[in-house]
Amino acid sequence: MSVVDDVMLSARFCRRNASRRWIAHQRDQSTAAHRQQDLNALIHHGSRWTTEGSVVKDDPTPPSGGALSGKTIAIKDNITTRDLPTTAASKTLAGYTSPFDATVVKLLRHHGAIIAAKANLDAFGMGSHTQHSHSGAALSPYSRNGVPLSPGGSSGGSAVAVAMGQCWAALGTDTGGSVRLPAAYAGVVGFKPSYGVLSRWGVVQYANSLDTVGILGRSVEGVKQVFGCLDGHDGRDPSSLSRSVKERFGRPRRVLKELRIGVPVEYNIAELSPAVRSTYLRTLGLLQDHGHSLHAVSLPTTRQALSAYYVLAPAEASSNLAKYDGIRYGYRTDGPDASPKNSLPLYARTRGEGFGEEVKRRILLGAYTLSSEAIDNYFIQAQKVRRLVQRDFDGVFAQPNPLLESDDLGTGAGDKGREGVDVLLTPTAPTLPPTVEEVKRQSSVESYMNDVFTVPASLAGLPAISVPVGLSGRETEGMEETDVQSVGMQLVGQFGDDELVLQAAELLEQLDGRA
Amino acid sequence: MHSTTLRTAPLHLARALQCAPQGVRRCPRPCIVAKWLQSRNLTTTTPLAQEAIPLRKHLKDEAKRKKAEAKRDGNTSNRNLGTDPRLEKWELTVGIEIHAELNTACKLFSSAPAEALDGEDGGTANSRVAMFDAALPGTQPQFQVATLLPALRAAIALGCEVQRKSGWDRKHYFHWDQPNGYQITQYYQPFAKDGTLVLSASDGVPASDLNGADSLAIGIKQIQMEQDTAKTTNVGSSTYHVDLNRAGVPLIEIITLPQIHSPQTAAAVVRKIQAVLRSVDACVTGMELGGLRADVNVSVRERGTSGVGSSYSGVSGLGQRTEIKNLSSFKAVEDAIIAERHRQIDVLEAGGVIEGETRGWTLGATETTRLRGKEGEVDYRYMPDADLPPLVIGRDLVEHLTSTLPALPDELQQQLQDRYGLSLKDAKTLIDLDSGDRLDFFERTVQLVMAEVGSSDQCKFGKMVGNWVLHELGGLLATHQRIWDDVRITADELKDILVCLDQKQITTRVAKQLLADLFQRATAPDTRPSVEHLIEVGNLRLRPLSEEEYEELAKRIMEENPDMVKAVREKGQKGKVMWFVGQMVRRGEEGTVEPEKAKAVIGRLVDN
Repeated sequence: MSVVDDVMLSARFCRRNASRRWIAHQRDQSTAAHRQQDLNALIHHGSRWTTEGSVVKDDPTPPSGGALSGKTIAIKDNITTRDLPTTAASKTLAGYTSPFDATVVKLLRHHGAIIAAKANLDAFGMGSHTQHSHSGAALSPYSRNGVPLSPGGSSGGSAVAVAMGQCWAALGTDTGGSVRLPAAYAGVVGFKPSYGVLSRWGVVQYANSLDTVGILGRSVEGVKQVFGCLDGHDGRDPSSLSRSVKERFGRPRRVLKELRIGVPVEYNIAELSPAVRSTYLRTLGLLQDHGHSLHAVSLPTTRQALSAYYVLAPAEASSNLAKYDGIRYGYRTDGPDASPKNSLPLYARTRGEGFGEEVKRRILLGAYTLSSEAIDNYFIQAQKVRRLVQRDFDGVFAQPNPLLESDDLGTGAGDKGREGVDVLLTPTAPTLPPTVEEVKRQSSVESYMNDVFTVPASLAGLPAISVPVGLSGRETEGMEETDVQSVGMQLVGQFGDDELVLQAAELLEQLDGRA
Repeated sequence: MHSTTLRTAPLHLARALQCAPQGVRRCPRPCIVAKWLQSRNLTTTTPLAQEAIPLRKHLKDEAKRKKAEAKRDGNTSNRNLGTDPRLEKWELTVGIEIHAELNTACKLFSSAPAEALDGEDGGTANSRVAMFDAALPGTQPQFQVATLLPALRAAIALGCEVQRKSGWDRKHYFHWDQPNGYQITQYYQPFAKDGTLVLSASDGVPASDLNGADSLAIGIKQIQMEQDTAKTTNVGSSTYHVDLNRAGVPLIEIITLPQIHSPQTAAAVVRKIQAVLRSVDACVTGMELGGLRADVNVSVRERGTSGVGSSYSGVSGLGQRTEIKNLSSFKAVEDAIIAERHRQIDVLEAGGVIEGETRGWTLGATETTRLRGKEGEVDYRYMPDADLPPLVIGRDLVEHLTSTLPALPDELQQQLQDRYGLSLKDAKTLIDLDSGDRLDFFERTVQLVMAEVGSSDQCKFGKMVGNWVLHELGGLLATHQRIWDDVRITADELKDILVCLDQKQITTRVAKQLLADLFQRATAPDTRPSVEHLIEVGNLRLRPLSEEEYEELAKRIMEENPDMVKAVREKGQKGKVMWFVGQMVRRGEEGTVEPEKAKAVIGRLVDN
């Protein structure tokens, strides 16, 4: 290692330590509770939650023996809990408490975890900044020029609660990046497993072919621990992967000495901010220095992927949210609902008042792309793009896709006469978090742009994790101490390669000196 | 009991394969049969005794319909008789979609029972609702494999090709009977395709449709599985009660090709499909549960032309079609098509254009009514359901079900004719009546009689029992305005009567009296007197008269009626002999005169 490297490394450590101190300072301040309330990360608390924002320690019946014994875990408020409301941060479900625990919640309890509170989100998971919440926007602990930064979304509440130490870990949901993006913005670890690995029974559907339960934690180790407790087949979720499919997954491989890391050329976009680009390149260099090999790969459908996502997700949303009619539960308008005189269709008033603007926007988009005049040009095309995105990924990974029949494997990397890669490394988001003021000024489409790096893995159902890598040296020039101190780096693996992705994330974390 | 065994075989299979708790197997309901029988005037079993509310409404409608019919018969009767001269010019084309409720223990996507357990009498509203049925947030459908069995039996019985892979789609529309805001159906990939239904004149197909052939084949385009909706009841002017018990109950939708060219054949198709479904135990038939509903697509074109060139279900060259929704009886299917054909011809002859629209029909109406036009059509935004994996049906299951399929109505009818010597008409009637209950009763009685008499002459006793079960009991049902469910007579009792009759212990007249007596006793079988007891108490046993006594009785009557004797002797009016037989039976002491013997004696004396 050169002297220059040494200097840079120590500088980075200083920087990171400073940032940690700042966060710790925030946490320890006597006004911690007040501060946390300001951030609005958690929206429903259990009875064991103290006003100071922590769980009562001397619990009379501490769950014993479980792998998560005594650990406090916050649950994104679109995952059902029997003892706390589940509102999905929408007026539509204001005051609604589910009669059942989601399978993932049940498993957490079974392993001794304390379900501490419900975390804020963009209503129904639709958003990238946790600003579209009926419970009020959530804020990042970081700020720029006195303006709070976006906590990312839609699992912004979960990410901030973890960052602020309000819980040991949190569950989120990731449909197009909703766990990874807030993890990147809040400087924590956010893991989206392969689609179908964690049960969705009890997860309020947004786009059910994409929805995935994700885990947020301060370290990869913690995330792994939670994942180990939740991984398993659930008969109540018809998309839960059966044991027989899982047997076809790649065996956990200890290849961490010489990881083959793919660098997708299409991710080097003009919108990439200097700080993110620099951190990305530095991280790649660091990995190479440690004996891992870098390989440029091509994922040509990346650009179309975002468009396809914003056709498919709203289409499914328009269907999944059709159940909120105010009849059996949830918000219902005062007085008569349908008004044929004003040619208002059934439930128009209830739904119009219950849903927020962003949810309405996506329902309308989805209803249109599914309509008989538009379905061929939008929904069907988007499905085709989705298949191409999956094919792109299958073409670069060394591991074959276990979901494909053996005769479909012709697209695999092996056939092209070169070795595939083990994981892909990309930034989680193209920029550092914007301030909430900037978010307000963004158009919907600009805000959708944030998801450009996270959406492809969602479309293909791949395991992906965002790991914070500290900013260093010139990357932090001109940044305040209150600003974000890390950049989220995303690792993506082949379908079913969740273990490998977690191992690679741990490695990245260690290299960054966080472990 | 051969055929009975055959018909119950698949139930054992279903039970063995069902994952739902035992004892929730559904039994077929008889209601709809009674209804269409009325329309066919086979019996007059007016179901007055039934308390079900929809039936009361139905009776009202029926009464209205009869009134309207009587009125109509006065002026426009030839429209009903299908002798409209304009039909020479215009040809009708009809395609039918039939929705039938599958006979399953649980709902299509939840383990909630599909029907109330025995003794629950319909069940409390909203008592059979799983969390998914109420569309609670975070719930998902779980396909219940057992529901596939009756659906497959139906598809096989209708000659369809069962698809190895099919899928589930969401059909979106907002209504309070649809908790999820969509119905899960099989729009893009149905599980069964390309079937055939063969009909003959005995099914009610008019000769003009047969064109000299023995039978007519109507193509089945596809069969799909789907969810039923919740039941809504209108209370007061603006309040509806929603009962989710029916929400998610499995249905099959059977779509025929537009190959039907008369209202009678359309009704025959629905009738036949219903009979086939029942024979393979695929469906429940309770009308009050919406057991069977039909939508019909109706178009007319000038004969020899290709209409306005419309096409659907792969058939082209048709006139513009309209759809008439929600027809719930065979009569309604036939009448609605007649009315709609008439309306379309009126429009076309006046130089108008038929618009593609959805129309409705109520019993007793003379015209279909416009429900909504094309511009008001709902865009269902069909979309594959991402929660549900494709439905994959193994060849082995289909083969197993095919090999164990019970006899279809046509086969069963042939068996009844061959084995019991029944006429085609009687065999058909027995199969059709009372959801097969009448057939069960018939077969049980035949077996009992033969066992008692120690005979193996199935043909002789089949005919005899058939006559009594269909005509004697049928007559009593008609006279007393009862339905089969109210009949208290057991097969054992009928057996006792018939054995006595066969052994000439009683006369036919007495046998009929005994049957009528037992028919009217409301008490349970074990608390009423036995047939033997009734015969003893009533002193009804045949005490045969001697030859002299017969002659004495005959002579006395002949002397009192010289004119009648003259009529037979001089004018050769042999029919008058039977008048004398009747007199002898009446004048003789109860249970003493056998008509055959009396006839022989009279014949001899008159000829002298």
